[in-house]
Amino acid sequence: MPIDRRAYVYLAAGFLAVIIAPGVIQTVAELRRGETPGALELFLRPPTARNLHAYEHGLEASSLVIQRLRPRMQYAEWRFLDDAGEKAVVGREGWLFYRPSVRYEVERPAIGPESDSSDPLPAIRSFRDQLQARGIRLLVVPVPNKESIYPELLTRRAQGLGVVVNEQTQHLLDELDRNGIEHVDLFQVFRRVKQDQGRTGTGRLYLARDTHWSPAGVHAAAASIARQVLAGGVLSRGDHAYSERSVVAQRAGDLVEMLRSASIKGSLLPESVVCSRVVQSDSGAPYEDRPDSEILILGDSFLRIYEHDVPGAAGLIAHLARELGRPLASIVNDGGGSTLVRQDLARRPALLSNKKLVIWEFAEREIRFGTEGWRIVRLARSASEFN
Amino acid sequence: MTFRVSRTILGGSLLAVVLISAACSPSASMGGGTPSSDPELARHGTIEVTAKLVEIPEGAIFERELYNYATVLKYQVIEVHRGSVRGQTIYVGHYNPFKPRADAADQLVPNIGGDLKTFREDQVERMSLDGSMLDEFSGAILNKYFEEDPDPIYWAVWTDLVSG
Repeated sequence: MPIDRRAYVYLAAGFLAVIIAPGVIQTVAELRRGETPGALELFLRPPTARNLHAYEHGLEASSLVIQRLRPRMQYAEWRFLDDAGEKAVVGREGWLFYRPSVRYEVERPAIGPESDSSDPLPAIRSFRDQLQARGIRLLVVPVPNKESIYPELLTRRAQGLGVVVNEQTQHLLDELDRNGIEHVDLFQVFRRVKQDQGRTGTGRLYLARDTHWSPAGVHAAAASIARQVLAGGVLSRGDHAYSERSVVAQRAGDLVEMLRSASIKGSLLPESVVCSRVVQSDSGAPYEDRPDSEILILGDSFLRIYEHDVPGAAGLIAHLARELGRPLASIVNDGGGSTLVRQDLARRPALLSNKKLVIWEFAEREIRFGTEGWRIVRLARSASEFN
Repeated sequence: MTFRVSRTILGGSLLAVVLISAACSPSASMGGGTPSSDPELARHGTIEVTAKLVEIPEGAIFERELYNYATVLKYQVIEVHRGSVRGQTIYVGHYNPFKPRADAADQLVPNIGGDLKTFREDQVERMSLDGSMLDEFSGAILNKYFEEDPDPIYWAVWTDLVSG
């Protein structure tokens, strides 16, 4: 049977229209805004890999067609295929997981060092030695990934595994022991809490649609860190009296925010999180840091959640202060637990002037995916040297 | 050669000439507006310079999924319009540099802006600056020049594209 030639023409025309339309729409929109068409950038710069990559990235960010179509496609994939896109992985019981954390859990690291700064140990050892030279004790606190504590909520196949410690993480914990670097093993702590509470209880240690821990996780971590601090003998319990006040915070979850889809966000109720806000027993005022404290805590967003976010004064810093009976000094650097937070400290050497203890918290996934890797950061020996 | 083929070649050549002419035009700019006449430049910051972006180190600008950050970029100063800077090479912190400057302001850093859309090496930019990033910004800082210990690091408040 002869095929109508027009069918070929329509098919080819439709295909070409799909290919060409986004560029034409973009160019017309830019001209209407009085801008030079972005496509000209291709001709303005040498066609190097870096320039082409930057152009492609810019196009993805600014394309009107992408901006209009992506949310609909994203919602359809979420709704009908349980696919949350490139940032997150849909788990069981409504839980979401951060894809880089899942990758950390399931992918083997590259054989051999990926770069000069990919191994955490030299950076941690150098930091410990520099602090020791000032008479300051270091306590390292790697915070388990959510996937490590609740692998069965990521996949049914992990049912019964309990708490999983990734090979690379275990290697680091072993190396810390071997090098005499004091650390808190929150994997053990959370394993015990999880066993005690049972998986179906309300006291889960992480939030369902967030990368971070729940108030229960904060409490368990604060209590175990405080026990280890006091057991070290350098510091005793202070005489600041703090109390707790229950307060409910609504959290959409950073994993939901990361999807950048109003439709998906609108389809999910925020998590109601019951937090304990730490207040001064005498005045009722919320907990506040003291830069001249003898204890400095450094860390990433695991310190920020509930502390600087809503409801405030209910995160690890405030609860650790309550457990220790003394206010702390702190530096929080979102996503910068491996290197950026120590660079931040290096810029503010006065913070170290009277310290006896530095607690350094970082998320487990930072071990492989830390922003800027694990650089050795030189601390000025004194504030005057810095200035 | 058929008439249809000749017409295609002629049309293609004309299109190429138009594109190349437009690209080579001195007024070609990926930003909008006339930076020197942008009144916002004078309204913000304590320093105003025109400077060339010397380089963008690998990994200095990327879309961070979860958190805001500022990155430090290196500039060669061409002209100082207001205030003064230390030396011809300066280091400037830009907040969430993967965003067009017009969209970068948020609750944490509300008063920044400009018409620059994307940072590119060798661009000439006109910027309103504050004297110290560390005084103005307390969030995460990505400083690829940390080992060079740049001091001061200026803080970009308003950034307009001049050329490039």
